[in-house]
Amino acid sequence: MTPPPPTTIEGVLDRVVDAYTTLAEIGEAIDDEWSYIQDLTGAWQGRFDEVRAARGADPIGPDVAAAVEAAIGETARIADPHRAVDWLSTFPQVVLVALGERP
Amino acid sequence: MRFQDAARDGRAVVYAGIQADPLVARAAELLASASLETRVLARAVMNGESTDPGTWMTMFPGLFGDEVTGQTRADAEAVLAMALEVAERGEAVRSQVRGAIVEELTARLLERRVDGGAIRRERRILFDGVRAEIHPYDVTVEQDDRAEAYDCKWGARGISDDVLHELDDARQHASDEEVALRVALVVYDARRSCDVRLARSTAPTAGIDILSLESIDDLAAAR
Repeated sequence: MTPPPPTTIEGVLDRVVDAYTTLAEIGEAIDDEWSYIQDLTGAWQGRFDEVRAARGADPIGPDVAAAVEAAIGETARIADPHRAVDWLSTFPQVVLVALGERP
Repeated sequence: MRFQDAARDGRAVVYAGIQADPLVARAAELLASASLETRVLARAVMNGESTDPGTWMTMFPGLFGDEVTGQTRADAEAVLAMALEVAERGEAVRSQVRGAIVEELTARLLERRVDGGAIRRERRILFDGVRAEIHPYDVTVEQDDRAEAYDCKWGARGISDDVLHELDDARQHASDEEVALRVALVVYDARRSCDVRLARSTAPTAGIDILSLESIDDLAAAR
């Protein structure tokens, strides 16, 4: 059974972090970028944590939930490791903009 | 210090064709006056897999939501159409087009501050007594009382020690000649990602300005 869509920022960010972790695993196939990927994902997860701490309980509208789901869906289409590394920077920006936050 | 056209080797000729693509000029024109959110949209689409406009419109409710109308929506739709056109190119061409767009965007923003005739592309910088570097700078501003050199990158991942050394060497040599030369890296990516890349670098960065997606409009601001 498909779980109901998240209704709070915290719920959305839980799904975002799961997708982000999967994306990082695809990018890690590029050995030369392994350390960069660890630092990059750490930096953006820190930004997600800031938003969670400040607004985690805030409700979100269906348009925002759909926006984040679409962004997560885009990450699921990525199989190329180089594209994945590029998206490790792009995906957080898309999510934060959808949540009304500056990257 | 003096400027010189870069050598026109085969690679440069091919890339010049990319730079002259009308799509590059149209993209730069749109992005020069775009909001941060719209610029993030362009980055996502040009980096993405999906070519369905509806997917991207769903992803950016602040640009395509029901309540967004008028010029804001029209601008976002124009950027989306342009970005999809880039995304639909083959991977190798797409990569070159994205780089050329950042260069053209840099030049367009500089034109708001300095006379267009002073803005040049693909130029080497020569210094007395210093072995000439092959490296051409993507965009330069060449005025009697002011000189600027910019390298342009599509993403933070393009920031490398080589690029930083080339910029810092130019700055240092200009300083040795007591000439003011602003050197900067323009990166069409978030500052947070740039900082991660810079933190891993062993190259000097203190004298190099970093202009990211959040601050790229500073190119047009009075200095």
